[in-house]
Formats: sequence, structure tokens, C-alpha cells
Amino acid sequence: MSPEKQETLLKLSVLSLAAILSFATRLFSVLRFESVIHEFDPYFNYRTTRFLAEEGFYKFHNWFDDRAWYPLGRIIGGTIYPGLMVTSAVLYHIMQFINITIDIRNVCVFLAPFFSSLTTIITYLLTKELKDSGSGLVAAAMISIVPGYISRSVAGSYDNEAIAIFCMLLTYYMWIKSVKTGSILWSALAAVAYFYMVSSWGGYVFLINLIPMHVLTLMITGRFSHRIYVAYSILYCLGTMLSMQISFVGFQPVQSSEHMLALGVFGLCQLHGLVDYLRSKLTPTDFEILFRAVAVGTATVTVIIGTILTVTGKIAPWTGRFYTLLDPSYAKNHIPIIASVSEHQPTSWSSFYFDLQILVFLFPAGLYFCFAHLTDANIFLILYGVTSIYFAGVMVRLMLVLAPVMCILSGIAVSSMLHTYMKQVDPDKNVEKKKNKLESNFVMKSEIATVFVALMTFLLMTYTFHCTWVTSEAYSSPSIVLSARTHDGSQIIFDDFREAYYWLRMNTEEDARVMSWWDYGYQITAMANRTILVDNNTWNNTHISRVGQAMASSEEAAYAIMRELDVDYVLVIFGGVVGYSSDDINKFLWMVRIGGSTERGAHIKETDYYSPTGEFRVDKEGSQTLLNSLMYKMCYYRFGQVYSEGGKPPGYDRVRGAEIGNKDFELDVLEEAYTTEHWLVRIYKVKSLRNRGV
Amino acid sequence: MTTTTLGHIIEVGNTVPNTHIYCAVQENETLVLLDNLAIKETHSMFFKSLKERGYSLTFKLADDAGLVLSKYGEFIYNHLIIFSPSVQEFGGNLSVDTITEFIDGGGNVLIAGSSLSGDALRELASECGFEIDEEGAAVIDHLNYDVSDSGSHTLVVADAANLIDAPVIVGNKDIPPLLYQGTGLIADAENPLVLKVLTASSTAYSHVPDQGIKDFPHAVGKKTLLIAALQARNNARVVFSGSLYFFSDEAFTSPVQKQSGGKKYPVSGNQQVAVALSKWVLKENGVLRVKSVAHHLVGATSPPPSYTIMDEVVYTLGLEKKTPAGWVPHDVDDLQMEFVRIDPFVRTTMSRKSPGSYLSIFTIPDVYGVYQFKVDYKRIGYTNIYSSTQVSVRPLEHTQYERFIASAYPYYASAFSMMLGVFLFSFVFLHYKEEPVKSKHE
Repeated sequence: MSPEKQETLLKLSVLSLAAILSFATRLFSVLRFESVIHEFDPYFNYRTTRFLAEEGFYKFHNWFDDRAWYPLGRIIGGTIYPGLMVTSAVLYHIMQFINITIDIRNVCVFLAPFFSSLTTIITYLLTKELKDSGSGLVAAAMISIVPGYISRSVAGSYDNEAIAIFCMLLTYYMWIKSVKTGSILWSALAAVAYFYMVSSWGGYVFLINLIPMHVLTLMITGRFSHRIYVAYSILYCLGTMLSMQISFVGFQPVQSSEHMLALGVFGLCQLHGLVDYLRSKLTPTDFEILFRAVAVGTATVTVIIGTILTVTGKIAPWTGRFYTLLDPSYAKNHIPIIASVSEHQPTSWSSFYFDLQILVFLFPAGLYFCFAHLTDANIFLILYGVTSIYFAGVMVRLMLVLAPVMCILSGIAVSSMLHTYMKQVDPDKNVEKKKNKLESNFVMKSEIATVFVALMTFLLMTYTFHCTWVTSEAYSSPSIVLSARTHDGSQIIFDDFREAYYWLRMNTEEDARVMSWWDYGYQITAMANRTILVDNNTWNNTHISRVGQAMASSEEAAYAIMRELDVDYVLVIFGGVVGYSSDDINKFLWMVRIGGSTERGAHIKETDYYSPTGEFRVDKEGSQTLLNSLMYKMCYYRFGQVYSEGGKPPGYDRVRGAEIGNKDFELDVLEEAYTTEHWLVRIYKVKSLRNRGV
Repeated sequence: MTTTTLGHIIEVGNTVPNTHIYCAVQENETLVLLDNLAIKETHSMFFKSLKERGYSLTFKLADDAGLVLSKYGEFIYNHLIIFSPSVQEFGGNLSVDTITEFIDGGGNVLIAGSSLSGDALRELASECGFEIDEEGAAVIDHLNYDVSDSGSHTLVVADAANLIDAPVIVGNKDIPPLLYQGTGLIADAENPLVLKVLTASSTAYSHVPDQGIKDFPHAVGKKTLLIAALQARNNARVVFSGSLYFFSDEAFTSPVQKQSGGKKYPVSGNQQVAVALSKWVLKENGVLRVKSVAHHLVGATSPPPSYTIMDEVVYTLGLEKKTPAGWVPHDVDDLQMEFVRIDPFVRTTMSRKSPGSYLSIFTIPDVYGVYQFKVDYKRIGYTNIYSSTQVSVRPLEHTQYERFIASAYPYYASAFSMMLGVFLFSFVFLHYKEEPVKSKHE
């Protein structure tokens, strides 16, 4: 075989191995548990996908869901990014067409691993464009197992991010291609890829700010050219028009502040082009005068128009989520509903290492190599790396955006360094070539090189082990089924969630309305098929606040709210028996904060729920308001007689590590309807008004 | 069509009307509990009128060891009459708990006490929202007592004007005064369901007759209830009279004349009121039901799976009244319906289409969500009518918007002219060949 053919074969096999690995490593949860959808949001996506596959696109597009957000309802078609569902439905229909009779659920479960494989390939292509194919292969191998990406794309984790990362990298690839070639074809393809990205994830805002920033940087560094002009103008025009076809996005690309950078840079491109043209036609003095006049005039007009539009409300005010990106403490101080979402929390240092391991150290090295050979494309990579590491520090979920660029930059670093040292491992072989060059011939060149290569191999091996361990231990639990180890080391499975949801499905009225905290909304609609009041699509703060008020109030006040909202059942998650720490009592302070954040809940104050010493505790020292709140009573009803742990008094809460303070009470307005095997889920029925009025 | 009967609260949850029909129990099984069998004789006129109306009465002593209300989870009686004021504890399976269960299960109860009411009745009364005055207390009126009174002024003459203003419960109010001898009742102010059927006059009070008054009496003046009633939320009816004497043959036949002077009536109004009351409590009177509920778009006949905002919708409801002859249309002119999503968005008085059939046509508001058509008709003495039908109101579909907007025509024109311009321009640009400038080279 000729060396070229060998190289191609090697590349192909490395790449396909990486792609297969990235699929295989995401299957832990399926092998351990079963092919099941994970967590919360994926259940909604699964439900909508099923609807789309069964009812067709137009029904889906016009779907008004009266099962969620009772009694407000939710326009599903207009409030979601449909890319994920459409992708799955298309795959499903293709498979059906070629007589592979796969269940729609399995399409959903395995979609994320499948797209991870595609991501691996697109990472190779992108890195190849930015540096060379060697770096591409390393980057592809790295991204196939990087935990930061696996956390969102294991089998069953059927969420927008599963395909969005692929779309994002695809758009970047097309964009780099068009920047390099300046061809309309690649720019148009970039716009189409951008459209796919917009249709699948709200994170497209990052992309539509990064690309203009790239263009702006190129302008400032004097690298602006016709290639950039063509590439950006086409991408912006086509991309914006296409993105406006997604009804959830609507007119945002021309109205909201988040998109204004792209619009501004588009305008600047035209000006820059005009200026370049005029400069080539006019004498320097004339041009100088004209330039000043135009610059001042444009600046003034822009400011005036911008002010008018902002004042009249045409340009939407900056949304809360965007403020959190700039100022991490913003949400905490202003919008409890945003702050309460766990994935909106600032990232801790340890999680950077946990999710990226050696990439954290290789990242600066990669940046160095980019700066060493600065090109139009490299500047993009640098910008992408720097901005995403900032955003990842602000919000945990944006670690996902950081992971690919970490892999690419590390790939470049590893590849460049190995490229240098591999040659020196066996210097004799290269002697012939390098004879001509005057190389500084320092001592023990070969030995140092060998040590370095060995070290690098070791690091990469630890990376592999770390990634596999993290995937297996941290990111592969479906969270709908919990598992724990007993004293003797055997595993017990807590399947209480599904038990409770099936109970609801089988034992309650078809149109029964279930009140729960919003975390469980999607799961209840998807698995129990019952109407719910609030769900994970937290679009209506007032409504969620109302539920928070009910949970935080005394029974009597809660009863009024529950009657107003026609609640039939109330569902709470209680971990005190098995020690499941993300239960409703631990989330309770958020309910209080969100409940108190609106006008009607102004009487609910967080401080009332703390003990006199300022602690949140459920034992005798706890505040009376807490001990008599509806949530407390629902969680601890009859718990006072239960021995949960040996050597402890009855009513010992294993999560809070305390004996509960309010043991003997009866429920006036509720009756216990169902409690699951391990008490994880408790369901109560709301009593109707008393028959005899007393 | 959605139908329920006999005071079952209607809950129609679906857009598709369900078809349950609860048949009225035809039997009029009535259990009568007595202190002693003599009461059967002393109150024969009252019992006779019940028998004549088709009730099968089972007389038992209140402390009979074999008393049962239900067998195998089914009630074996429809009605319960307790004419045993002095009973301390019911016999057999009967207790205050089983009786309240009986009420919650839809049974009707008529209770008569006296100034010597036992604990059982006291407890039962407080379960139903009224209290009996302390042991031995009787209603005393030093101005309005009957001429035949023995001297303690406890045989009170109650004016018919003091009856509740609801003919469906007490019948015609244009009757002779009523004779009453017994204890006073006090209504629970917290309980919204208690009806004050007969109040004492303003000069009456309730106290033990032979004792001096040291403390303020529990019940004074108009607050003293002589007969109280309760229509529970499941429309079970309970009537509690403080006086067993009120239903006796003696009271039915006695002449009545106030001692303080006044007209002498040859016979008291007791019988009329007692019969009317018994008719009400045994659900012969004032029983309504929703016969049918229907809703659809104007011009359609069956309901759509969901409505769209701004639709014109027709809501109809049929109302029926129970009469001895069966169910007949019930005519009222104050029936209102609401279209509710947490708050009522529409509230109108329904118009009468034909006897007992009401109709309301309105435009759905421009707000999507899950709504309920609600009719909540409560009138004193009548069954509570509550019907709620849930429907979803969806926003416009993507095909239901205007396709071409008049004010946007300039934009359409500009778009098309632009397209044409670009086409022409590129055509010219691509095919225009510059004349080679020959002169200079050559």
C-alpha cells in the first residue's frame, strides 16, 4: 500500500473507532437499567415526539396542550424548538420505510449517542480545517468521551442539547469553510446549518453572537476581505430569515437585544465595503473628509434610532437569562425562578476538572499554538474558546458549549507537541531530512522526547480512564430509577417514581388535575397522563408562584388556592425515609422564595421559615410557620410513627439528619391517597367542601 | 346527554358529555324511631299523612338493640325520622356517627326534640350545625303564649310570619299561628348551610322555666330557633324541631289564641306546616335536576373537540323539577351561567328557550386556556344545581390568520419588484459584454 493509502486507512479507522466509542460509552444506563428516557425535560420531548410521529407535522405545529399549565394551557407548537422532535420523527419514518420496525421510544433513547458519533466526525472536519488532520483525529478521539458533553448526551437523555452540539459544530465548520473560500455555496450551507441549530436549541444565541464577533475582530485586526464580506452577508441574511420561520423565535432576530450585535456587524460590513470601495476611487484628502462626515452621521443616527426603539419597546429589554450571563448574581437577586434551576448555578472549579480533566491544562497550550500561527480561522477558534470558558463559568449547563472547543484546542496542542517530539524520539531516522537545517543539537534530545511522549501517553490514558469512570458513575443514572447499595453491598432499586405515576394513571379520573412542584410536571404529563398545573417549561412565573404559595401556606390558606385552581391531587417527593436528598423539603425554600416573589404572595416571607437562630430545620427548633406549612405536613404525615433508621427515634429524617418537630397531626383538607414503597412519592387527594358545612 | 338526578352534584368534566343516569330510588323506606310506642298514637295524624303519601314506615324504639341503617354497605332506608327526644344512646348499630354517615350518603332526617333532649340528639344536632339549649330549658314567651298554657308560659304561639320566606319548605304562610312547646335551638353562625325555618318572636327566650335567671340566656328573641333545617352539599335534608309536641295530634287540632288577646283560631296552623316540612325534608318538594347540558358552535349541533378563541358558542341547559307525577320542566328567570378560567370571563343570565330549557349565546374571549361552563344555581329550599363542563379554548391555527394584510401591500410590491430587479440586473450583468477597447492597442 502506498503511504497515502495507509494514511487514509489509518485516519478512517481512527475516526470510525472514535465514532463507535462515542456511541458505545453512552450506553451504560441502558445496559444497567433499561432503555428508558431520563430525567425531566426529556419526558416532555419524548411526549411531543410521539405526538409528532403519530399526528403529523401540522397537527404538531398547531398543538394546543390543555393538559399542562391548567387552566392556562400551553401552545406547544409555538413555544418549543422543534428540531429535536422533527429529527427523531424523520429518522423514525425513514426506518419504518426501510422496514426496520423500531419503536419511537428507542429512537428517542438512542438519538443522543447517535448524534454524538456525528459530532465526533464533525469535530474532526472542523479541526482539520482549523489546523490539520492530525489534530482533527486527536480532537475527535477526545470529544468522543469528554464527560462535559456526555453529561447531556447519554442514551435516554433526550434533550435539545443532544443534537444542538452537533448543529453548532456543523455551523462552525460551514462558517470556517466559507471564511476560507469566500464562496456563496458554503455560506448558504452555513445558513442552513444555522437554521438547523436555531430549530433545535435556544443556545443558538451564543452562535449568532460569536460569528459577528469573529467578523468584528477580523475588521479590527485589518483582516477584513471580500471573502468575509460575502460569507457574513449571506449567512446573516439567509440565516436570519430562516431562523424567523421557527415560530418560537419569531421576530426576535430583528427585535431583541441579544441579536443586535449580528445586525450591527452586518451594517458595519456594508459600511466597511463601501469605505473600501470609495478609498480606491477617491484621493486621500477627499476620502478623509467624507469618511469623517459619514462616520459621525452614522453614529448619530444609530444612537437616535436605537434609543427610540428601546423607549417604544420595539427592541425587547434584555431578558433575565442574558443578564445572568453577564452578572452571575443578577438572577439570584432578582428572579428566583431562574436562580432556582440547578443548571443555572455558577460552575464550581472542581466541576471544570471533573468534566474536562486534562483538557483544562491543554487548553492554554492549544491557545498558544493558535496564536503562534494566526489565521482568519484560528481567530474564530480563539474567540470561541475564550467566550465559552467565560460563559461556562457563569452557568453550569454551558459547560456543554465549552467541551467541544476544549477538545479542539487540546487536540491541536497534543498533536502539535507530539508532532514536534515524535520526530526526535528516533533522531537517526530524520537525520537525512534535517541535515540541511541548522538545528540546535541539544543533549539527550531523544531521551527527553521519549519521556515526553511517554508522559503524554500516560496523560491520555488517565483521561480515558477518568472519562469512562465519570460516565459510568456520575452521568449514567436515569434519575427516574434510583439505585443504592445496602450494607452488604447488594444493589437495591428504587422505582418509586414510576410506581406513583402508574398509580395516578390507573386510579385517578382521566381529567384529574395534579398539583406538584414544577420539576415533576413533564414526568406526570408524560407518564401519568394527567393534567398538571405547572411544569418544567417555566414560562409563567405567576402561576408557579401560586403553587409555591399553596405549598408554603397553612392548610386553610392552601385549600383556598387549591379550590381556586381546581386541584384534585397533590404530589410531593419525600426522601426522608431512604435519604434521597433532592426532595421537596430541600427545594422548599425555593417554593417560599418564588411564592413570595409576586404580589399575591407578598405575605410569604422567607425569614418566617427559619428558626430563631436563622437556620432551616425541620426538628423541634424549626419555625412554626414551616412546621405547619402544607408541604411539611404532606411530607411528614404519619412519618412520626415510622422507624427509618436503627438506633434513632421514630420520625427520624435521614436527609436532614433530624427527628421531625411536628409529629402528631391530622390533615384537615387532604387525605392520603397513595404512598410508594419507599415513601419517595406521596400523593394526596384534596377533599371536597364539607358536606354538612361543619 | 348528561343527566343526574335527585340532588347529586353534577360534575361534567369532559367535552364529551357522559351518560350516567342515576335512577331515583323508588322505595320510600322510612325508619321512625320513638321513645315509646305511645308516640305512634299521639302523633298518628302526622304518620297517617306520611302513609297516605306512600311512605312505608317502620316503627322502632330508639334503644332497640336490633337497629340497623345499612346492610352490606347499602342503606336500607331512604329516610329517618327521630321522634325520640329523650334517647341517651341509640340502640343496635345506630349511633350519631352512623346517622351522619347516612346523611352524607344522601339520606334525609327529620328530628324532633323537647326540653328534655338526650345526649344523642345534642350530638347529632351539633353535627348538623345547630345546638340544643341546655337540659330542661324551654322556650318561654311571657307575651305570646297560648290561653291553654299551664302557667309557665312554655306553650308558645308562634306567628306564621316568623316562618322562613320559602314556600317550598313551609308551604303557604297565610295560616293560623303555630303552637310550640319545647326547647330552643341556636344556629352555628359559621355554618352557611343552616336554614332558620321558624324563629321565635322577639319577646321569647330559652331557659329552664322554674329557675331564676342569673346568667344571660343562651337564646334570646329572634335568635331562638324553633325549627332549623340543613340542606347538605350532597342535597341531603335535615330538619330539626325543638318540639316534638309541634307534630302531635294535640297540636294539630288545638284551637289557638294568644293570652295577650287576639284572634281566636279554631285550629292551629301546625298541621299545614308539619306536612309541608315533611314534604320538603323527604324530598317531595324543591327537588331540581339538570336534565341536559349541551354546548356547540353557532350553527353546529355537536361540540367540537376544542373551541377556538373568538368563536360564537351556544350553551344550553335543561332544568327539571320533581313532582308526584314525575319530572317536569322547571321555569325560572334568574338562571345564570359563567364561562370560567379561574375568574369568570363571561357571566350572563340565560334566556328561556322553551319551558325548562335555557340558552346562552356568547363570544368566547380572546384568551386561550381551559375553561368551564358553570351553572351554580342556589335558591333557598331548592336542590343546589351545580354543573360544570370543561372545554379547551385554543388559539388560532396557522391557517386561520389572514393570508394577505391590506396594509402590507406596499411590502409585497417592494419584495416582488426587488426580486424582478435583481433578476434583470444579474441578467444584464452576466450577459453584457464590454466592447473591447481596440483603438488604443491598435
